[in-house]
Amino acid sequence: MATPILQVKDLQTQFTTHDGVVRAVDGVSFDLYPGESLGIVGESGSGKSVTALSLLRLVPNPGRIVGGQVLFRNDDLLQLSDEEMREIRGRDIAMIFQDPQSSLNPVLRTGFQIAEAMLAHQRSTRSQALRRAVELLRRVRIPAAESRAKDYPHQLSGGMRQRAMIAMGLANAPAIVVADEPTTALDVTVQAQILELLADLNHELGAAVVMITHNMGVVAGLCTRVLVMYAGQIVEQGPVEQIFEDPQHPYTWSLLKSIPRVDAVRHERLRSIEGIAPDLLRPPRGCRFHPRCPFRVEKCFSDDPHLIEVKPDQRAACWVTMDRARAEMGADDLLDIRPGSASGVQAGRLVE
Amino acid sequence: MFTRGTLIYIVQRLVLITLAVLGVSSLVFLGIHRLPGDALFSEHLRGTQYELTLHHYGLDRPLWQQYLTFLGNMFHGDLGESLVNRGVPITPIVLREMSVSAEVGLVALIFTIGLGMSFGVIAALRQNTWLDYLLSTTSVIGYSMPNFVIATFLILVFGVWLENITHGNFYFEIGWPGRYGSIGAIWLPAFALGFPSASIVARMTRASMLEVLQQDFIRTARAKGLAPATITIRHALRNALIPVITVLGPLAMAIITGGVVVENIFGIPGLGKEFATSILNRDYNVVIGVFTGYAALVGLTNLGVDLLYVVIDPRIRY
Amino acid sequence: MAATPATVVAAEPIAPAQASLWSDAWRKLRRNRLALGGAVYLTLVVVVALTALVWTPYPMAEVGVGIPYSAPSLQHWLGLDTIGRDVLSRLMVGAQVSLLVGVGTQLVVLAIGVPIGLAAGYFRGVFDQVTTFVINLFYGVPNLLVALILVFLLGPSLTNIIVAIAATGWMDMARLVRGQTLSLRERDFIEASRAAGARPAKILFGHVLPNALGPIIVQATFGVPAAILFEAFMSFLGLGVPPPMPSWGSMAADGITAIRIAANLVIAPAVALSLTLMAFNFVGDGLRDALDPRQRR
Repeated sequence: MATPILQVKDLQTQFTTHDGVVRAVDGVSFDLYPGESLGIVGESGSGKSVTALSLLRLVPNPGRIVGGQVLFRNDDLLQLSDEEMREIRGRDIAMIFQDPQSSLNPVLRTGFQIAEAMLAHQRSTRSQALRRAVELLRRVRIPAAESRAKDYPHQLSGGMRQRAMIAMGLANAPAIVVADEPTTALDVTVQAQILELLADLNHELGAAVVMITHNMGVVAGLCTRVLVMYAGQIVEQGPVEQIFEDPQHPYTWSLLKSIPRVDAVRHERLRSIEGIAPDLLRPPRGCRFHPRCPFRVEKCFSDDPHLIEVKPDQRAACWVTMDRARAEMGADDLLDIRPGSASGVQAGRLVE
Repeated sequence: MFTRGTLIYIVQRLVLITLAVLGVSSLVFLGIHRLPGDALFSEHLRGTQYELTLHHYGLDRPLWQQYLTFLGNMFHGDLGESLVNRGVPITPIVLREMSVSAEVGLVALIFTIGLGMSFGVIAALRQNTWLDYLLSTTSVIGYSMPNFVIATFLILVFGVWLENITHGNFYFEIGWPGRYGSIGAIWLPAFALGFPSASIVARMTRASMLEVLQQDFIRTARAKGLAPATITIRHALRNALIPVITVLGPLAMAIITGGVVVENIFGIPGLGKEFATSILNRDYNVVIGVFTGYAALVGLTNLGVDLLYVVIDPRIRY
Repeated sequence: MAATPATVVAAEPIAPAQASLWSDAWRKLRRNRLALGGAVYLTLVVVVALTALVWTPYPMAEVGVGIPYSAPSLQHWLGLDTIGRDVLSRLMVGAQVSLLVGVGTQLVVLAIGVPIGLAAGYFRGVFDQVTTFVINLFYGVPNLLVALILVFLLGPSLTNIIVAIAATGWMDMARLVRGQTLSLRERDFIEASRAAGARPAKILFGHVLPNALGPIIVQATFGVPAAILFEAFMSFLGLGVPPPMPSWGSMAADGITAIRIAANLVIAPAVALSLTLMAFNFVGDGLRDALDPRQRR
């Protein structure tokens, strides 16, 4: 593949609270290639949204990026001045947020909010920018774009608002679009339309898309590569098809088990993951997934696994991996997915 | 922003204001005219002179007749004539004094909004710094100080001490030379009038700015790469103003009320000074007239505030 | 095996636990330094006002205890006024007037506003409509002016001043209590006692009022400085307490005529008044934060 357009190296973002330090993003590294569509999946609290916000240095207080690099066109974004960073935002890297209801300013006209993104970075007059805004609204398939541009956000439907958010993200033809759960707040039917729109724009405009979602289905529909995050770390990454066919991390495996698949070969039971996401104030020792993992071995309690190549292009951070779980623990026929059920390793010294 | 509906709304409100003005002045009229006739005159009038004076003002007729005449005159905008200065019609006086009070009040309102908002915004942007604490403390002191206390200190500092320090070369002259105030004469009274309200606006702006700055659309604005000043003014402040505007009605009322005292301290020939003078002079007809003027002023001010909502918040339509 | 913690769903209490609310509020209030400072200052004012009942340095109305316009001295800590009366003595008696007006007014306001608000909110119907109409009518006229007219019509005296200020102040209290009652009457524990056949008076004073007490106390606390301010305004305009009774407002008004020769005459009552108002506001803020967290501005 070509050279990456964005390289994230050992990113560390922490939140200092009264109770202690929360390592929301703990050593995340990945590459993003021009024009590709990368999914970042995980439960809420896995650090995927904070990762996205860290790329643009928009982490809310009391969050701080404490380490790592975000390399974009030979610059480390984390080292830029505030003014230099401001110029990158919206021009080179745009972001689309989760809830279009609260993410649009209620007192400004929709068209103006799009035009504003252009006026912040380009030499153009207000009326030119407003005309471009109408074109963009048309491009994201909003009917009667001229009059919609003059509407305030509360006059638009939820789907239209999210389209307007997308138009805003595209205003300066950015190289990268980061979409943070863009469909979560929408009706199911509208979700599909928005995803389709994002896919089309990705193909047409050639912008690289980083798709943050908790929904494996969204990743399957839109992305070429996927990162799976758990408790602030990447636990598995690789091409989407490969990961879906042959997940190697038990967490990915159970995530995929928990979504209904139309193309399932056998009639499989849908399973949710046992237990709750770990408390990042006091993350478990060893592998962070071990308190919930059916396949854990002794080593998982004490040693932190690193991402290693498990298949071509596919990396996972697991001492066991699903290949071994299948071969030695009968993972495919497993009905009882309680922690340690398959491996038989129970906690005597578990959980501090 | 303003539609046909808004226009209809304004007309409706104007009708309501007229009714309220009539109602208020009627109440004051009836309240005062319950007093016996001779209580209405401060001079000692005797015999036929007294009868003639009573007759001149129509005070010898039954109350209901007097009231009907009063209402009829009100419809023509006639508030009658002064009991103390016989033959002097009240309406032109009240109108002129209304405009003087409105002038001072408007400048005070500008102080209120301008100072209050800037203090509030700065305190919010510099949250938990010494500047924030300084401004917050100032505003707590500000809204606890009666305006006549502020006025007194202003006179003391800018009128008396400044004159002493500069040996009479540079100071603020108390008083109101012309009919309307010049910029030089108006700013001290307007400041005294506006400062307590400005403190309240500052407190509210700070709180509401802090809340708005946490909103998602501020993050969107930052993600667009807008300059910090644009984000603060265009995105945060306009939204932060919405709750602040809701107290603007009561604050305008406080400014109007405060005018009674401040106008008397600074010798401003407005409605407030006339109010105090007419009460002390027992010039009841002028008291009624001044009250009518106040009711109109309050009604129009509240209407103005309500129309401001429409300008600030596009979600509100009348 | 890691046990999943069992979720215990606490049964909703029939009536909100009052004891913990008040002790909780007291704990919050004690930590609020401004409110505490305000309370200490107000205690001092009360002590001064009570002392003035039995003793003042000089008789407050005695003219010519020294040379008029004298600056503060060892004999006269705050100087002498325009006709040679001791300013400190008058300031002490003025504290009585301010406290009487402030507290007295709020007692009247509570006595009128609370029952009307309770009745309007609970029974609704015609009574509520009439009350709301009257409240809205008064809302269109500046309270201070109405109070001034009333004092003028009734004649200036301490009682009439209290009556006049209360007559313009009860609406805010009634509106607050009405709102509280309207929302409380729909709550389950009120429904329950109604279903159990309790009489309206018992429901209102036994259940509704105790639960609305927090906001009522806060409102009354803020009402005190407002009333003191009104009295000061009236006296400042010469329509307040009749002489020779001193009021901080009339003392300031007298002093302002002498501002060039004896600034202490206006500074003393102005500072006393401002500090008192500030103290009440601090205590009010503290009470609101402690008792009524939803109404935080």
